[in-house]
Amino acid sequence: MTTITATDRMPVRTRRRPGAGQDNLSALLTLARRRLALSASNPREIFVPLLTPLLFALVIAPALATLVRSAPGLDYRTYLAIGTAGLLVPLACMFAGLGVVVDRQSGARPELLTAPIPRGLIVFGNLLVAVLVSGLQLGALLLATYLRGAHFNATATGIGWFVAAAGCFAVAMYSIAEIMANRIPSQEEYVGAVPAVAIVPWFIAGSLFPISALPAGLTAIAKALPLTHVLALMRYGLLDRHGAGLRDIWGMTNTTVMAALSTAVVVAYAILFLVLALRVFRRTAVR
Amino acid sequence: MIEVTQLGKTYPGGVEAVKGVDFEVRAGEVFGLLGPNGAGKSTTIGMLTTTIEPTSGNARLAGFDVAKQPREARRVSSVVFQEPVVDRALTGRRNLILHARLWSVDPGAAARRIQNIVEVFGIGDVIDRPVASFSGGQVRRLEIARALISQPSVLFLDEPTVGLDTRIRYELLDLIDDLRDENDMTTLLTTHYLDEAERLCDRVAIISAGRIVALDSPRALLAGLGREVIELRVQHDPQQVLGLLRSHRIAGDDTFAVGSTLTIPLRNGTAGEAMAQISELNVATTAISTRPPTLDDVYLRLTGDRLAA
Repeated sequence: MTTITATDRMPVRTRRRPGAGQDNLSALLTLARRRLALSASNPREIFVPLLTPLLFALVIAPALATLVRSAPGLDYRTYLAIGTAGLLVPLACMFAGLGVVVDRQSGARPELLTAPIPRGLIVFGNLLVAVLVSGLQLGALLLATYLRGAHFNATATGIGWFVAAAGCFAVAMYSIAEIMANRIPSQEEYVGAVPAVAIVPWFIAGSLFPISALPAGLTAIAKALPLTHVLALMRYGLLDRHGAGLRDIWGMTNTTVMAALSTAVVVAYAILFLVLALRVFRRTAVR
Repeated sequence: MIEVTQLGKTYPGGVEAVKGVDFEVRAGEVFGLLGPNGAGKSTTIGMLTTTIEPTSGNARLAGFDVAKQPREARRVSSVVFQEPVVDRALTGRRNLILHARLWSVDPGAAARRIQNIVEVFGIGDVIDRPVASFSGGQVRRLEIARALISQPSVLFLDEPTVGLDTRIRYELLDLIDDLRDENDMTTLLTTHYLDEAERLCDRVAIISAGRIVALDSPRALLAGLGREVIELRVQHDPQQVLGLLRSHRIAGDDTFAVGSTLTIPLRNGTAGEAMAQISELNVATTAISTRPPTLDDVYLRLTGDRLAA
């Protein structure tokens, strides 16, 4: 007969535990490490989202730049390089959401749901990794475009605007991915829905050309998209200190105010989608 | 250790999956929840493991109310799920460490427990491989090992051997049996393999259509069917045959049928006498045999087709 020994057995109920905050932080980091390990074990999740934007930024954007005459003081190659970031972040987040579908269908989600942790931490753990991976991919994209000849006009403040916009946008996009991953029944259907969410808005959000060049109806729609604000902020931060993209949205003269307003819009979207994601997660996790 | 009072669950749309069940599981006891598919076993386990919200009644694990103190209730319990629930891309060890961390087990203690338990469970050789490369039996062993890492006061085993081949199933039963002998934790096991319940459980509750229809030790439940049963496979309508047998006082109210097979508990007389009487009635049968009653008989009588008036 086998013998199950518990050399250090102690009653679970009487175990001394750290404070709740420390406990939650530790659980969050554990969940994030798990998600990172799962993502790392599937390089496809990291490299596929990067491939298309990278190809666009390194091959198509420079080719287009040779055809299009830039506005004075504006390098179209760099303009497109930043525009490509607006494709990369949604794709990276959507692919991260695919991991949630797998977790739900055949992974360890039920185990996580029976863990003595606040369940929202499961979403936050995934979110943390999605934002981190998006950030790394964004860094790789910008480095590659810089090496390919893009000229960034970066200051500490400008980088701050860029990071704030990219970070909040990643939160918003991952939250949308989390909502979809919890609502859409199968991986196939999820993948089928990705282009509508991650790619279609990119065409009208000022990624390839200013939204002022769109028909009036589409311009109004573009102004409501978080990506439009994100791209305007990114360009304001890294390329165009005059904030042409922000002016197209707000029509004001004070660029700092416009940047603050666009940041507020992106933050609001991030909070809205995150709250919705947590709500949908709770509803699907507990019946 | 587990106290369940009038626990009920009605899903949106009005489906009443569990209709106010009551039971209590004592510390150290192995308690079986038996029932056919859709009887309410999984919903009951779901409510006890806080993944399903009860709509009525309450339940406590080690004194913690599962609805009002769900985290505390989860802290003292672990679950082995019906379907494999593992991170297949991660190694077995990583899966165990993850559980230990989420249950706030001290890392040093966790490492020692993992070392000990993987050897006992016979997965020491594969523990550092991705779970995707494990066999079905190894995954099950890993899941049970994982549930024990946090040394739970209450262990839920939801159909732990379903889908496994016979050899692995019996190996796992040995393992669970050993756990029962070596640990003082309380175990709630759901299964529809009656031999498992008979072998492992101190007491069983039979659940049917959301209600507990019997609750006792396997021995006591078996005693309710007498010392022997006759199994009779008939060619014609079993209800007609049953009526005939009753009119001749061969069958009692506790006789039941599943398909074309009648199971007749023997209360009086010998099996030989009863079989001779049946033979005299010229009932068209394809098979007739006698055997001691099993928990299957109890289960089928209570949850299967009941012909008893």
